[in-house]
Amino acid sequence: MEKTASRERQAFYQKLAEIVGPEKVMTGNQATAPYEVDGLMPGTVAFASTTGQVSQIIKAANEFRTSIIPWGSGSKQQVGPCLSAADTILCLKPMNQIVELNASNFTVQVEAGMVNGELQRQLAKDKLFFPLDPAYMETSTIGGEIAANATGPLRFMYGAARDLVLGVTIVTPTGDIIHTGGKTMKNVAGIDLCKMFIGSWGTLGIITEAVLRLFPLPEASKSLYLTFANSDDASRLAAQLLNSVLTPSSIELIDWVAGRNLGDTYHSRLEEGEVLLIINTEGGSEAVERHWREINTLAEANKVRSPVTLEGEEATLAWNAYRRVHQSILSAMPSTFQGKASVPISKLGDMFKATKEVGGRYHVEIGIRAHCGNGILYPYVAAKDDDLVNIIGDLRQAAVSLRGLFMVEVAPLWVRKKIDVMPHRNDYTLMKRLKTEFDPNNILNPGRVAGGLY
Amino acid sequence: MIEQSFIKELNKIVGRENVLFSMKDLIAYSYDATPRQEMPEVIVFTRSTAEVSAVMKAAHRERIPLVPRGAGTNLSGGTIPVMGGIVLELSRMNRILEIDTANRRAVVEPGVVNLDLQNALAPSGFFYPPDPASQKSSTLGGNIGENAGGPLCLRYGVTSKYVCGMEVVLASGEVVDIGGYVDDPPGYDLRGLFIGSEGILGIATKLILYIIPKPETSQTMLAIFDTLEDGGQAVSDIISAGITPGALELLDKTMCWVIEQSVSAGYPTDAEGVLLIEVAGLADSLDRQVKEISETCQRNKVRELRIAQTNAERDALWKGRRGAFGAVARICPPYSVCDGTVPRDKLAQALHKVGEIAEKYHVLIANVAHAGDGNLHPLILFDAKNPDEKVAAKKAGNEVLDACIALGGTITGEHGIGLEKMDAMHLMFGPADIAAMRKVKQVFDPEDVLNPGKMLPPVVDKSLPAKEEVPH
Repeated sequence: MEKTASRERQAFYQKLAEIVGPEKVMTGNQATAPYEVDGLMPGTVAFASTTGQVSQIIKAANEFRTSIIPWGSGSKQQVGPCLSAADTILCLKPMNQIVELNASNFTVQVEAGMVNGELQRQLAKDKLFFPLDPAYMETSTIGGEIAANATGPLRFMYGAARDLVLGVTIVTPTGDIIHTGGKTMKNVAGIDLCKMFIGSWGTLGIITEAVLRLFPLPEASKSLYLTFANSDDASRLAAQLLNSVLTPSSIELIDWVAGRNLGDTYHSRLEEGEVLLIINTEGGSEAVERHWREINTLAEANKVRSPVTLEGEEATLAWNAYRRVHQSILSAMPSTFQGKASVPISKLGDMFKATKEVGGRYHVEIGIRAHCGNGILYPYVAAKDDDLVNIIGDLRQAAVSLRGLFMVEVAPLWVRKKIDVMPHRNDYTLMKRLKTEFDPNNILNPGRVAGGLY
Repeated sequence: MIEQSFIKELNKIVGRENVLFSMKDLIAYSYDATPRQEMPEVIVFTRSTAEVSAVMKAAHRERIPLVPRGAGTNLSGGTIPVMGGIVLELSRMNRILEIDTANRRAVVEPGVVNLDLQNALAPSGFFYPPDPASQKSSTLGGNIGENAGGPLCLRYGVTSKYVCGMEVVLASGEVVDIGGYVDDPPGYDLRGLFIGSEGILGIATKLILYIIPKPETSQTMLAIFDTLEDGGQAVSDIISAGITPGALELLDKTMCWVIEQSVSAGYPTDAEGVLLIEVAGLADSLDRQVKEISETCQRNKVRELRIAQTNAERDALWKGRRGAFGAVARICPPYSVCDGTVPRDKLAQALHKVGEIAEKYHVLIANVAHAGDGNLHPLILFDAKNPDEKVAAKKAGNEVLDACIALGGTITGEHGIGLEKMDAMHLMFGPADIAAMRKVKQVFDPEDVLNPGKMLPPVVDKSLPAKEEVPH
């Protein structure tokens, strides 16, 4: 029995080598160790260079009934419900080219393995950019970001992937190549499958190319670093800003605990209890000046401490440092738990306080980052194992009582196995039916589907 | 055929007065804004999710086709009950349940008319950006069914960006909540699938919408051109200069003439093309934007640029644009409207092509376009009593769609596929693409009771030759 299984495996690896070339297939623990995921050690890692190769691999995987884990840079592989199998990692990193840049239509067609940061550098030559700026953008791939629905501070002005991705090319779980969406700003032909694949975590298909909506690099921009004695003052400012005619591009909040990871790029250190609002404004120079003036006035009225304005290179460095905070916290404390609360935007301050109360109750420090314009708050908790499940329960309860929801993103494996990482909902049945319909053999990322079971 | 006992069951669910089946009533619900008619067997008005669910459950049990309907303004035949059965009227579910500006949310029933929500929001200084030309009568549920656009969508994006969540009655009658009140609901983006699904996946019975503060001020202008291509080029140039106007609409000479016959918008009737341009935002930034737009227009040989000086002038300019389809309907009731969309740098080319097609088939085409989005609306006018003209109009319409596809565009930017463009789906999608859409339909409505015969073309036997070519 064992022997047959092993022979089958070898035959599949042989098939992989035929499809992508033997030099693009790695086996053996040493080679696959960096791709360990959810405690599972994959048998092989294959690198695909074309959509056609991906399609052939998926067809073969269906024949052999073996699981495929699509992979970009791997930065989000620890998020979501646990995988139930991980036989082969299919890495799309070699697919890293721009297929077509249409600078006057503000669209670019890229291969999925292209790294976001690299794409931005290419686009900047034409004074364009793609306004998706998740934490890992210097290493994460466009395909991975779309699959994980990754977002960053700019989402407040430009929206999330669902607003910025015009179309995707997909290899379905049965190996068909399909095209969704298109290159136009508006398109309502047929069912909008493109949206379904965004945020589907590689469970419904593998994104091999995407058409992205671009924007001209803004003429001017300024970042305001506003420190407040407490979260109330900061929340009040955010609420006033959100209820005005001003249109900042991002409103980020970081507390004194998470703020320790900001490094030296930002010129002052946060005292205990302080919170920092980082507000970015961009666009025409007149609009930026007006924003800068009025936000400073609002900040003063809310008792801001030592406001700092950053521009140009300095601002870029500071934003890079801000993006690194997430990774810094997780690296410093490998057992850290990171959750995500979505609450109505006016309740973000309440969620902040509730989170701190939970920390107080269990005598742990909880660091906080938040997108104020979207009501999203990320708590970082380095707790003793025994308390973690209770802390997660309390945070979930707090979000729910504010009409929000809470999910577990980064957590030790045992936690992700023990608890529901996703909130409860009544639409998971539909999602599971979609998964079964599209992936009858459960080949792609088995187990990752929201609501569990598959 | 619907049995008498089934009518009794419907009576029990919604009350006798909400079930209509007289010939007069059936005729009233046999058409939408497209020139085609099919008779339903019964009209049902519902007032609550529970009623919708009960009606749906009964229809599902008996496998009776059901078409959900709002105001019936759609432009692709989507609400024509082509298989008979039930038309489910949702326009009486028209309560605004919640407006919360601090959280940027409005919760409404699907029958609320788009403009009624705008009016309710106005005092708070907020608005809901999607503004289809039909906003005076079309319902928000219908807007979601079609993923409606509108002039303001150039700056703000279309309906799919402004729907956070929905309560949906599935074909089985089961009620589910998709998306949600807050951002980033977990799992697959079911609301993304649902928006623009033209009533074939389910019936939205409650909508959670994203609302935003109105811009501080706006400035509206009319740029008048001697050729349509110059106007089209000006559009591409304005956008690629990095200016995103609040709206950027194009109308041709025929369209202006037709509009002026019905409302006095102040459009010229002797110019080949006009652009209706609105910039919006902070007062500080508008002067320069107007100046830059004016210079771009001059580079493209604009004849005249009029800037609205008063609110009355601004309203008149907009009244003309918003009344465009109605004005055409007044002088020539049977018209067909295309909705092809191209990458916006191809707009001038597309307009040129439309002109050639009009000449080739000797049909009158009036052009109006959401130009900034590359979304064309050529209205092809024909005499319904003249069979030759009817055929010519149909061929011209198909050729416009072919041209849009050839330029890298799509067959529909905002009106949907419905009945009208079902055959044209093959221009855009291969068999695998359509098969994937069918899988979604299979999940939501395996028995095909919801709006059957729409959007997804029937499965074609592969052994048959490809569909008949339209002779060129």
